[in-house]
Amino acid sequence: MVSSRVIRNLKKEFRQSGLAKLGLALVVLITLTAVFAPFIAPHNPTDQQLDQSELPPIGFSQTEERTSSQMVDGEIQTVTEEVEISAEPDHVFGTDGLGRDMFSRVVYGARTSLVVGVLGTLLAASIGVPVGLLAGYHRGRVDDALMRIADISLAFPSLVLAVALIGLWGRAAVNVPDPFVVAGLAPEMPESFVLPITVVIVVGLVNWVWFARVARGEALSLRGQEYVKASRALGANDNTIILRHIFPNAITPIIVLGTVQVAAIILLESSLSFLGFSGTTLSWGFDIAQGRDYVSSGQWWIASIPGVAIMLSVIGINLLGDWLRDALDPGIEGEGGAA
Amino acid sequence: MSLGRFALKRSLQGIGVVWGVVTVVFALRFVTPGSPINAVAPLDASQETRQAIAAELGLDQPLYVQYGQYVFELLQGDMGRSYIRGQDVTTLVFERLPATVELAVAASVVAIALAIPLGVISATRRNEPVDYGATLLSLGGISTPNFWLGIMLILIFAVEFNIFNTSGRGVDVGDVALSVINAEPFVGTLLTWLAYITLPAIALGTYFMALITRLTRSGMLDELSKGYVQAARAKGLPQTLIRYKHALRNTLIPVITVLGLQLGTLIGGAVITEAVFSWPGLGTLVIESINQRDWPALQGSLIVIGTSFVLVNILVDVVYAYLDPEVVTD
Amino acid sequence: MSDAERTDEPAATDGGGTGDAFGSGDAAPTGTPAAGDVLSVRDLSTRFFTEEGQINAVESVSFDLREDEILGVVGESGSGKSVTALSLVDLVETPGRITAGEVWYRDPDLAEEFRGNGDVRVDGDHVDLRTVPPRVRRSLRGPSFSVIFQDPMSSFNPSITVGEQIAEAVEVQRRARANPRSTRSRTQGYGLGKYLLDGIVPGRDYTSEESMERAVELLGQVGIPDPEERVDEYPGQFSGGMLQRAMIAQALAGEPDVLIADEPTTALDVTIQAQILNLLKEIQADRGMSIVLITHDLGVIAEMCDRVCVMYAGEVVERGTLDSVFEDTVHPYTQGLLGSIPDVDDPRARLEPITGNVPSLLDAEMGDRCYFADRCPKAMEACLDKPPETTVDAATGHGAKCVLADREYDPADALPDGYFDAGPGDAAAPDEEAATDGGEGE
Repeated sequence: MVSSRVIRNLKKEFRQSGLAKLGLALVVLITLTAVFAPFIAPHNPTDQQLDQSELPPIGFSQTEERTSSQMVDGEIQTVTEEVEISAEPDHVFGTDGLGRDMFSRVVYGARTSLVVGVLGTLLAASIGVPVGLLAGYHRGRVDDALMRIADISLAFPSLVLAVALIGLWGRAAVNVPDPFVVAGLAPEMPESFVLPITVVIVVGLVNWVWFARVARGEALSLRGQEYVKASRALGANDNTIILRHIFPNAITPIIVLGTVQVAAIILLESSLSFLGFSGTTLSWGFDIAQGRDYVSSGQWWIASIPGVAIMLSVIGINLLGDWLRDALDPGIEGEGGAA
Repeated sequence: MSLGRFALKRSLQGIGVVWGVVTVVFALRFVTPGSPINAVAPLDASQETRQAIAAELGLDQPLYVQYGQYVFELLQGDMGRSYIRGQDVTTLVFERLPATVELAVAASVVAIALAIPLGVISATRRNEPVDYGATLLSLGGISTPNFWLGIMLILIFAVEFNIFNTSGRGVDVGDVALSVINAEPFVGTLLTWLAYITLPAIALGTYFMALITRLTRSGMLDELSKGYVQAARAKGLPQTLIRYKHALRNTLIPVITVLGLQLGTLIGGAVITEAVFSWPGLGTLVIESINQRDWPALQGSLIVIGTSFVLVNILVDVVYAYLDPEVVTD
Repeated sequence: MSDAERTDEPAATDGGGTGDAFGSGDAAPTGTPAAGDVLSVRDLSTRFFTEEGQINAVESVSFDLREDEILGVVGESGSGKSVTALSLVDLVETPGRITAGEVWYRDPDLAEEFRGNGDVRVDGDHVDLRTVPPRVRRSLRGPSFSVIFQDPMSSFNPSITVGEQIAEAVEVQRRARANPRSTRSRTQGYGLGKYLLDGIVPGRDYTSEESMERAVELLGQVGIPDPEERVDEYPGQFSGGMLQRAMIAQALAGEPDVLIADEPTTALDVTIQAQILNLLKEIQADRGMSIVLITHDLGVIAEMCDRVCVMYAGEVVERGTLDSVFEDTVHPYTQGLLGSIPDVDDPRARLEPITGNVPSLLDAEMGDRCYFADRCPKAMEACLDKPPETTVDAATGHGAKCVLADREYDPADALPDGYFDAGPGDAAAPDEEAATDGGEGE
């Protein structure tokens, strides 16, 4: 399973690769941000302060035309004046159109991305891996059926299918109480985390087929191995063989695929939020959609900053995946990285 | 087995998959809460009105009859009538399809044309600045959400520099071709076409460029370390032939398979790119149909998308078989 | 003799003046190449610069290859014999690099071309290939040197027909003859533009009809039945033996002076091995070329070779005519190799394997002693200094890099058992932390 040789390869590859170190650093940073969001965010990300809206990030200023009506000599005149809006030290990344603090929203957005990415991947793996292992091990009809289902499933682009399913099933969300806030450690912050449960289920359902393909391939090659043949000859039953011999030896490519899938699902989640098919409004994709309306009027930061956050997290996870792949060499180049 | 027979065999398998696609799309309606009648009937409709609508839409029939009828009509090219637009769905879908195909083809052509040379250069100049540049570029490319990239392109090229159009399609590629025949200003038409398609094509193509660069690079590195490359050097073969005829050809064989699998990503990417650039393609239609619960239009779009995927993958497999003769001989 | 002196004395050795310069107790060939030598290698060193450190794969190797002879190079895997072969044809790839040495190749035309060129060392008809521009070395692959690799399956591109791959080798030479200048450029007159043009324009291709016909002819000559049909088959459709014949056909395409056969039969069945070896012998007799035969199999050497070099840890440790090395073996390593072969006449005799493993060749772990001392059953105090190569018999060119070349084994001087167990150069020590200090010289 995870032998000392594997650990040694991981360490060696890590020492040699600057990119692997960068990847791990980014992933650790984002995970810590997501977990300790209530302590990192300076403001409640959902608090609207309309008098503080559209503030630029620190280091930038914005000129804006304001039109107002004035009584001049008994007549109403419209006066247009250039107003210089400067950054507030309180809002590092500025504020959005409703005066919400962008930095806090980026911090909280990490929670949504990471939770959906990880839970979606776990769901996809827990469907795909058993199906793939069974099909690859038993071959024959089960396998044929799986391959046909996989073909059909692949014919629908995951984003299109996800949009269709969420659009039709509704955008259900569950409020998960935030333990830090409940414990009174961060009283200003939102009391609960909104988990877009439909999104999690749908991304899991849409991406299971990648896990099934990889698990099937591994099972197919492992079933011919001598030690598997030997235990079959000794009368071990099929389920025992799959659990004891096939699964532990197929775990490496599954882990590598899982890493890539977390990145893919984060991208998928942001796309869904962007299109308005999500159950939460605290999401990077959602913020980009909001910021899009401000692009032509000059408030570039509202759409830009959350995108950088997505990019950095996905780069981090992809680098981590590259590191695992280079160190473990599971031979699944190019599988499953889909947005 | 000849290449022709191989193509035929794959086509027959493809028909099976398309049938599966149709069935899944049909079944989608029955795993969805709420009756389709709600999309059509007024909120305060009486029971009688609702039944009349159901009868008109054929929704009162048993499931297998509805299914049989749907497949039967589909075989005749009839996908029903849009609930909302009152238009024939087949017409509607095939009106939108060319725009999506044009966008997807433009994006992939640019992606492939840039990515393969970049991947080759990166592999043959390993650990040189070019290689580092290409590696970082492709890492960024596979990690950037395309809708965000689209917005950033709009921000830079349309808002700041006002070079490109950011919304709609302008003219289609057919107009550009026709302008030559009709003696219209060709360059002007071409520029208009480019003004509209450039940004969406870049936004959609970047991910693929990055992906193909990565695959080509690692594939080339793998191939160049193989025995036959050393043997080719030993027999004095020119470097061009070693790299392109021998190594690149073998590299492209697996790259093509991955591209076939990633075609869904391309179409999915097109959907969201269309949303960003208001590109009047199938993706926009899918999203509108979902929001309006326009079942016939949604089903029609999904079937066309699924079928295109299957068709292109058959094509990919045949190209694969042409490049790698062992596939056919097996 | 300095390099400058040699270049300043053109044609001084014409007519075989110096001959093999054995003398002063040093058996390794030194000095200028003799007229009868197709190839004279002097002090060739190839190193690999890896993450783990510098690996001395080839360590100051010298030998001569005479006209029409088969020279055997024998050693265990990891002894540097294959890297030596690759170094001859300049096919060592990064992180490997040829760091020193001379490769004198006899080619009157080439010598004429570079005579008087200050950068290139020329001596009579011989040119030191290490000093000529890389493009010239590249142009010699095919018409001067050909290589037969160990594994025919991996040495052919699986997705191109065997015939076309041989035709390519023919075409390289055809084009080189038609336009000699172009063979000197990086792309040999065949750049990306031409390749794309040939790909797009129907009927155009790199290989010509003519070279395809020659490929059929060559396949026939190496004993492949129905060559007209087999040219269009893919390597996967050939058996290992047939494919090795095809590789020999490919190697003959340029009618080379020197054929380097790197373990040509190792990947084949025993019955096929003999056929391939016979084929090589026939070809050598028919065409009069020189062959460097690299193998770990002393049986093959005994069958095929005129002279033999035994390699260990990147060095030539014993050399001479076949008989002198096999009959009057000096080096305990060679004795060990011979002792590991079953004797048909005395099946009851115990095989005596050499204990231990080939050293790692890591520069840091090599030390200055005889590299074989840690495995040598006759290791003595004297072995803690690096022995020079010493002539055993000048008449047969027999020499050995061993203290036993000019003295007898004296058990009184023997090193105690386990002397090297914790010392440097011990390949068995797996940990990086293992001490690299201490050990020799008390």
